[in-house]
Amino acid sequence: MAILEAKGVHKRFGGVVALDGASLSCERGEVHALLGSNGSGKSTLAKVITGVVAPDAGEIKIRGKVEAPRSPADMRRLRVAAVYQDLSLIPQLTVAENILLHEEPRGRWGFIDSKALRRKAATAAEQFAEALGRSIPMDELVGNLSPSEQQTVEIIKALARNPEILILDEATASLHKGEVDALFETITKLKAKGCAILFISHRMEEIFRFCDRATVLRNGQTVGTVKLSEASEGDLVDMMVGQRMDEVRAGRGQATRGKESQEGPEKFQREGSQPVVLRIHNLRAGDGAVRDVSLELREGEVVGLGGLQGQGQSELLKAIFGALPLESGRIEINNNPVSISKPMDAIRNGIALIPGDRAREGLFPVRPVLENLNIASMHRRSAAGFLRARREEAAAGSIVSDLQIKVEDLSHPVHTLSGGNQQKVVVGRWLLNGPRILLLDDATKGVDVHAKSEIYAIIERLREQGAAVLLYSSDDLELVTLCDRVLVLYEGKIVETLSGADLTENRLVSAALRLAPSGNGSEISPGRAYDTGRDNMGRGGLHGVS
Amino acid sequence: MESAESVGTRTRTNLWQRLLRRHLITVATASLLVLAIAMNAILQSDFFTPSVIRSNLTSFVPLVVAAVAQTIVILAGGIDLSLGVIITLVDVVVVRLIGTSSSPTVLALCLGAGLAVGALAGLVNGIAVAVIRLQPIVATFATSFIWSGLSLLVMPRPGGQVPTFFYRGYRQVFLGIPVAAWIIAGVLVLWLIIKRLPLGRYIYAVGGNQQAAYATGINESGVKIASYVLCGVFAAIAGLCIVADTATGDPFVGAPFTLTSITAVVIGGTRLTGGVGDAGNSVIGAIILGLVTNIIFFANVPSFYQEFIFGVIVVAALAGAGMLTTRRRSS
Repeated sequence: MAILEAKGVHKRFGGVVALDGASLSCERGEVHALLGSNGSGKSTLAKVITGVVAPDAGEIKIRGKVEAPRSPADMRRLRVAAVYQDLSLIPQLTVAENILLHEEPRGRWGFIDSKALRRKAATAAEQFAEALGRSIPMDELVGNLSPSEQQTVEIIKALARNPEILILDEATASLHKGEVDALFETITKLKAKGCAILFISHRMEEIFRFCDRATVLRNGQTVGTVKLSEASEGDLVDMMVGQRMDEVRAGRGQATRGKESQEGPEKFQREGSQPVVLRIHNLRAGDGAVRDVSLELREGEVVGLGGLQGQGQSELLKAIFGALPLESGRIEINNNPVSISKPMDAIRNGIALIPGDRAREGLFPVRPVLENLNIASMHRRSAAGFLRARREEAAAGSIVSDLQIKVEDLSHPVHTLSGGNQQKVVVGRWLLNGPRILLLDDATKGVDVHAKSEIYAIIERLREQGAAVLLYSSDDLELVTLCDRVLVLYEGKIVETLSGADLTENRLVSAALRLAPSGNGSEISPGRAYDTGRDNMGRGGLHGVS
Repeated sequence: MESAESVGTRTRTNLWQRLLRRHLITVATASLLVLAIAMNAILQSDFFTPSVIRSNLTSFVPLVVAAVAQTIVILAGGIDLSLGVIITLVDVVVVRLIGTSSSPTVLALCLGAGLAVGALAGLVNGIAVAVIRLQPIVATFATSFIWSGLSLLVMPRPGGQVPTFFYRGYRQVFLGIPVAAWIIAGVLVLWLIIKRLPLGRYIYAVGGNQQAAYATGINESGVKIASYVLCGVFAAIAGLCIVADTATGDPFVGAPFTLTSITAVVIGGTRLTGGVGDAGNSVIGAIILGLVTNIIFFANVPSFYQEFIFGVIVVAALAGAGMLTTRRRSS
């Protein structure tokens, strides 16, 4: 009998469907992988099982009994523990205090028994520390530890809860190789004790090494469960990508029309002859979230950044925009070296960044559409330092009709618009500034299909006007549809460049997972995932997932 | 023991550095206290005589206790803008209940009722923040009008009296130590007890990272409510001290304590966003604030300038505390 079962789990966040009938079944003594491409709902399903997220519909069975957890504390009682991708540690408390948080041994009169706490925490850490071959500093504040040490503490914290069902959500992302080996050893022991382990990782090598079976999710639905001893990497990629026919039909439309006319020799000629607008040399930023990235962007070119989520794509765009300090490397615009230390510098150099998280990084929700559109380019329309209402209205009015933003009145607060129209306001704001280099940070995330294709059309038009576009998207189809070439990032580095006939969804997923191109039967070299600058992987990984 | 060994080897080389780093804020606040005491002693020749010490401590006690109250909610990630008015409410309720009675039993019951009023007010604040999920600043600012209005209903204008033995006792010396010092010590002991209970740790956890605390299974709403209830109880203790000190009731007596308690907390190095700090440091912060008032008085600053100078000193102290905390975070 399965110890853990999920059936028909549904979950929406606002307008975005995260889970749309996901199921899985996990046995005692089994390590079960949960696989899926970006945004397929892996983490949401894990959070439903741990009680952090309440599902809209569906059934969770533990040891054959239907449970309706209302909080993580409820699942804790059922001996479910999790290692979270975004750590569940309190930086201001010590390692020992974190390991036994909410499990504190009580002394007389209900006081925390500090000695027993340190002893118990040390015992919990011991099995892991032994496998690791070095000890864990029990009295250090967690906030003073390196990301990989923090991740280790997070793992020990879950183990200390003596779980029967353990969920590891990208638990290895910021670990060094030795720590992954220690985790593997620990998992083997837990398996022998009859624990069920749900394992989420973007490293395929680990999936095949650790896991017995895998359940694949796509668009929030379960595609199927396979025995890993009987499946190849290619099978898994096919299951993850599938045929998203409905989206293909809806999403293409106007965007591809422009692209088709450029296919052929004409396009390649143009790429070769157009001047380079943006050149980046060996850029490093975000505590190693971006490592040693070099690229060239030509006039009228749309270059994509691909890969799994959190591999440094956002950080790269922010670094170019001056929102994240450069640790090393050079940026050249029109063959002139420039120094960009804050967004203002980038804006002066004709760069615009359209963020994906429009609520946090883009809009002023309670302010009118008019102000939101004008805020980045007010200086162009002011006179003697004063704002000119009529000029601002004219500018806003033209961009609203240009981008077909549906708004009744420019004075309405921007939060009253639909998500897609809000995103178009963000785009419009930057267009008013006449950017020559446009950076998009997953700009169509959570935008409906219609608004998406309209934004694609805008990008297409800007390209024709000679702007250079660098675009990150978590939607592989979007990259295939829009881009001339796609740079695939993995743990902060460009690991592959796809263009022309190679630029397919299937190749993107394979490259993102660092697999050999599917179909030609070549094998993944063991440990390849770790060869990319292991010394810095810890820091890079943590920043990537946070 | 394996783990003890590891800690030993890691710390031995830089034990002092580590101790200083961990207790940097306490060290800084304590240095500021020494400085304030020294300046006060220079300006006031009889500063170290028992009667001056006693009267100083007596007047510092309400702010000291109020600062402890404020620290608890701030550590849990909240703030209480109704704290001063809760003090007022307790003050007038207790004096009104005592009436003309001089029986110790009645007095004890009335003091108990005062504590209950504080706890109840704290409970309402906690529910507004943790259950109705209002912003702490907005929620407690709104409830402050309720407490203030209730105080005026209970006692429209200053008046009333308390038994002689009560306010005399407050000024006494017990076992060679002023009663005021015993109260401060008692409040600190209560704080240490809270800190050693799981609840104390959860207060730090919720203030430090609310989502992580929730994911760990901590009932974060409950912890927040508890922090407001504790704040209300400590505010009530401050109110009782004021009753004993002034020997009468006053529906306006508590209001200034809201902002001075927050100031004391910040001087004591507690981070306003929660999770970092200690009520012990806030006690020092409150005493520093009291001493600054003394210093200005004894320095013969013309009365027009007193408030200005007080403001300058407080801003300087806050800037110092702020610089320390930001440095710590970036290091």
